[in-house]
Amino acid sequence: MADYFQEMGWRELEDGEQPNHLLHMARFLIDFGHYDDYLTGEWPRLPPAASKEAVKNLQEIVIQTENKECPICLKKFQVNEKAKEMPCHHLFHEKCIITWLNQTNSCPFCRYELPTDDEEYEAFKKQKLRAEQRKEDIETLHNSMFS
Amino acid sequence: MANIAAKRIKREFKEVMNSEEVAGGYIKLALVNDSWTELQGTIVGPPDTPYEGGTFQLEIKVPETYPFNPPKIRFVTKIWHPNVSSVTGAICLDILKDQWAAALTLRTVLLSIQALLSAAEAGDPQDAVVAKQYRESQQLFLLTARHWTNVYAGGPSAIWEFDQKVQRLLDMGIDEHEARVALSHYDWELERATEQLFS
Repeated sequence: MADYFQEMGWRELEDGEQPNHLLHMARFLIDFGHYDDYLTGEWPRLPPAASKEAVKNLQEIVIQTENKECPICLKKFQVNEKAKEMPCHHLFHEKCIITWLNQTNSCPFCRYELPTDDEEYEAFKKQKLRAEQRKEDIETLHNSMFS
Repeated sequence: MANIAAKRIKREFKEVMNSEEVAGGYIKLALVNDSWTELQGTIVGPPDTPYEGGTFQLEIKVPETYPFNPPKIRFVTKIWHPNVSSVTGAICLDILKDQWAAALTLRTVLLSIQALLSAAEAGDPQDAVVAKQYRESQQLFLLTARHWTNVYAGGPSAIWEFDQKVQRLLDMGIDEHEARVALSHYDWELERATEQLFS
């Protein structure tokens, strides 16, 4: 059971602590499909900037082959020129990709997402993942019962 | 205009001009002024849609912050489509808003708009009236879209019955486009359209 509580982000009440009824109500509503559009739908605006940490940790590599271009400015890289590499292995000029990541957290080429420093957005992503997981679980259960 | 924006548009312009789509006549791109801030796009209506045979002009405005922000694009040619305003030509397409990515180009954006003509997103409408017709009377929607394509975009198939109804309102001294909009909005019921125009 500990795993279940952990997964749900729950813990036992401290001595003398009262349950947070508003929080319970909110979880109840979410679990029964209310607020779906807001919490499990789409993020309503451009996702926030990538976290400073993630931007700092981008790999720097030296271009070895000709004819590669930076997808942001569309300029061809010179051999031996330095470039920044995203975890999805797409390459950009440092100036280009940093301007972009200061605005939003995904690869301009394939939308691979870096972590952000925005708590609300991270919570939204977690919630979305949980909703997907739940849908899969229900489907598995349904299939095991009816097939 | 910011240096990176102008430089990128110039590179893109070359890319579009050398593309298969331009060679095949599916899309076109032209400069409007020398400053590279405004361009004119052209797409042809995709086959097996009511837009087939039509040629649609788009206004493209490139912001200073391009490619970090999307270009502003609207239809100049009037079009009957759930995701395009029949009044302003404004387009509801996610990649022109919060799904923009800096690696998208004018070529890929024009192709996406062309794809939107093949597959409307009725769940995310720009024009509520058109979207309602699209959902509730598909046949009428297809005819209306084909009629608009014929009248405004040079499409091949005239709808005789619709032309007659527009003519009836013209005879009453009503502006042609206003008449067409009213009739399209009221599912081509002459009486209701007339009532609305004179109220």
